[in-house]
Amino acid sequence: MKVVQIAGYLGSGKTTLVIALSRKVAEAGMKVAILVNDIGSVPVDGRVMEEYGMTVKDIGGGCICCQVAGTMMKTLETLARGTKPDVVIIEPTGIAVPESIRQTVMLNAAKTGAVLGPTIVLFDTTRTEKLLTYDTLKRLVNTQIRDADIIALSKIDLSSAEAAEYAEKAVREMNQTAKIIRLSTVTGEGLSVLADRIQEVTVQV
Amino acid sequence: MNHKHKKSARNYTGRSEMANMTAKERVMKFLNGEKVDRPPIFSGMGNVIKPVLDKNNIIFSRVHRDPELMAKAAAGMYREFGYECAVVPFDFGVEAEALGAKMNYYDEVEGLLYPTVKEKSVISIDDVKIPADLKNAGRIPVVTGAIKALRRELGNDVAIGTYILGPFTLAGQVKELDALFEDSFLEPEKTGKLLEKLSGFIIDVFKIYQEAGADYFTLREMGGTSDVMSPKSFKSLIKPHLVRIISEMPRPSILHICGDTNAIIGDMADCGADAVSVDHKNCMAETRQKLGDKAIILGNFDPIKVLHKGAPSDVGPAVLDALKGGASAVWPGCDLWPEVSRENMDAFMKALTNV
Repeated sequence: MKVVQIAGYLGSGKTTLVIALSRKVAEAGMKVAILVNDIGSVPVDGRVMEEYGMTVKDIGGGCICCQVAGTMMKTLETLARGTKPDVVIIEPTGIAVPESIRQTVMLNAAKTGAVLGPTIVLFDTTRTEKLLTYDTLKRLVNTQIRDADIIALSKIDLSSAEAAEYAEKAVREMNQTAKIIRLSTVTGEGLSVLADRIQEVTVQV
Repeated sequence: MNHKHKKSARNYTGRSEMANMTAKERVMKFLNGEKVDRPPIFSGMGNVIKPVLDKNNIIFSRVHRDPELMAKAAAGMYREFGYECAVVPFDFGVEAEALGAKMNYYDEVEGLLYPTVKEKSVISIDDVKIPADLKNAGRIPVVTGAIKALRRELGNDVAIGTYILGPFTLAGQVKELDALFEDSFLEPEKTGKLLEKLSGFIIDVFKIYQEAGADYFTLREMGGTSDVMSPKSFKSLIKPHLVRIISEMPRPSILHICGDTNAIIGDMADCGADAVSVDHKNCMAETRQKLGDKAIILGNFDPIKVLHKGAPSDVGPAVLDALKGGASAVWPGCDLWPEVSRENMDAFMKALTNV
């Protein structure tokens, strides 16, 4: 059971990506489970779920993280015992710190048999200036980017080449080792790369 | 003295009586900076655990809406384990709900999920409607009912604690976070007015809880953590409101902020609470050094890693590390995770009772 995290600040396109990626990974023949912080926000109908054999679980939490850790561990245990997905995609809240989620997953790894897939952090290229200069945003955004294995420059279809270049340069300064990909869930750019990385990459802790 | 609860205390030897100090006396003297025989074993955060719920046939999703069940679950921590307090409520939605937010209690969900806000009620400050009859707004009467039931059930020997979210965290419960963070930067005075209004509400609710019989009061401003807010923003945006609330809320007061707090620990202390509480991401030794010998610092074991996932033999050494690091008394960094085992709770109590 590989656990992948799709993190990123509020409004960066996490839910849309979770749905798109889940389909792609499921189409490759893998059984997928999705853990979200607000099940009502996930537009996956029962038919699609059945068709792709997906499981969607709500881990609750709203804007506050400290009551979520236990629920997340318990849900992973239940999945490991029950539907035994090949891949679990977690969408934490937009203010979650990816490293905390990673640690929570690994706390229970002996019991669940979970291995870590890549932590994918979305960076909204249409809001680069805000995300990097607003004092109330930049600390959290910086922490999220720093914790990423893959940085997905999201909404690339809405950004000019210059804006994309600027965003890429900025996130690279925050994280020198992460793979950076350009992503549009509208055109599909970057989706296959991400789906491949999810299947190929296991992160050692 | 209420003898009823002593008879039912499982494996609790009554060290309180031996030391001629009740659990409540120990907690209250400690928080007031007076001498105690040993650090009290208590917390100001949510303590609702499955061994207690199961014994009393209480379903988790219902414990948040029924004062008697809430009291029974909170009292069980003392009755079953000798934990020297009873704290209500258990979730973070009470105040938001009183302000009009819609809650999800996950009645249909198998397993254990804390209630969360499913529909926020505030876009601008004008949307913050403080109910005229605050005592009966939302689940506030559930909490006051539980406090009264606890006093009735436990008598005056056990300290009753309660908590309320800080103004910034509460703002995040009633208003969309994205808008809150953006407004806080673009129009800090607008967010300041919102926090000012929420601060008045928080003070009033604390007073209602005091009137119901609560003994000590924790202000939990999780949104102020340096994981999320820069120390500069904490100081300019949040701190002034914490100072005001703490100066007007009942005492003894505790200010808790979780996550990375070493960079703001001086500002936290300046807010004026009787004690500060930090979580496991905080370096306790550094905090003690910064705040000096006299500060009451509470913390800072990881309730998931240590108390839930640790083996019973690991629990004692791990929680005692907090005292060695400089904590005045051992508190969990957050709520106890409900699925803590009976064996680990016993190990936790044994380690701290023998300090």
